[in-house]
Amino acid sequence: MKLSTRGRYGVRLLIDLADHANEAQVTLASIAQRQGISMRYLEHIAVLLKRAGYIRSIKGASGGYSLASDPSKIVIGDVLRVLEGDLWVVDELRSGQEENALQRCIRSMVYDKLNQRISDVVDNLTLDQMAGTIDPDSAYMYYI
Amino acid sequence: MRISTRGRYSLEALLFLALEPGDALHNTRAIAEQTGISEGYLEQLFIPLRQKGLIVAIRGAQGGYRLGKNAAEISIGDILRVSEGSLEPVGCLANEPCGREGECASRLTWERLYSAITECADSITLADLVDAYEPIETEVHTEYAI
Repeated sequence: MKLSTRGRYGVRLLIDLADHANEAQVTLASIAQRQGISMRYLEHIAVLLKRAGYIRSIKGASGGYSLASDPSKIVIGDVLRVLEGDLWVVDELRSGQEENALQRCIRSMVYDKLNQRISDVVDNLTLDQMAGTIDPDSAYMYYI
Repeated sequence: MRISTRGRYSLEALLFLALEPGDALHNTRAIAEQTGISEGYLEQLFIPLRQKGLIVAIRGAQGGYRLGKNAAEISIGDILRVSEGSLEPVGCLANEPCGREGECASRLTWERLYSAITECADSITLADLVDAYEPIETEVHTEYAI
């Protein structure tokens, strides 16, 4: 019952961009260095986030990435669904697929409720709230 | 964020046992027939569930399995922690700290997600599922009859 690496790293990429919103463009190389994530992996995730409209890129020598919208408008649940496909704890029932009574009982009493609770958390959370939890410049100091 | 097949099958097998009278023993063949899970897989699932006391195994010709406690004392969280190992949505909260805890802006969110999942799974017991089962069974049988 784990989020994928893609989901976790994608959120970190967006948080990093939000934390450095005062810089016009942020390069993936600088994010890779700060976050300790490989460049190749970030490039892969950046393609997905760009396609979904969360980030935009400027090409060229002074190019890089920036958020495409205000961090307060970016819902973490939506981002995770782009990166994970969905957030369900079990596959959805396909049409025509039959469940026995045990399975149906567990679906309605357990899986549906877990899905609801997970959505409640991530759909009521925006990027600005996550980005605000740690001051990027003083985090190191705090930790000491 | 899927629950594994192991987790889903464990829930189904334990719900089956919870629906039966308290002292009745069921061998894996009977459980397999009712749940559609293979006998071999059931035996694998039952090893850790037995170690944690969620089920009891009685050996011998008349032997079999039953719940190890009252259904009201077994939560979904208890079962899933055995079958899934952990309910953490990310591996870094308790088991494998990554070393970036102090500067990780995601951690609070993953912790919140973890406690939502834990609270939910721990608040539902097998007895709750038993209570919900009967109308669902009637519904399923009616559909098949049509």
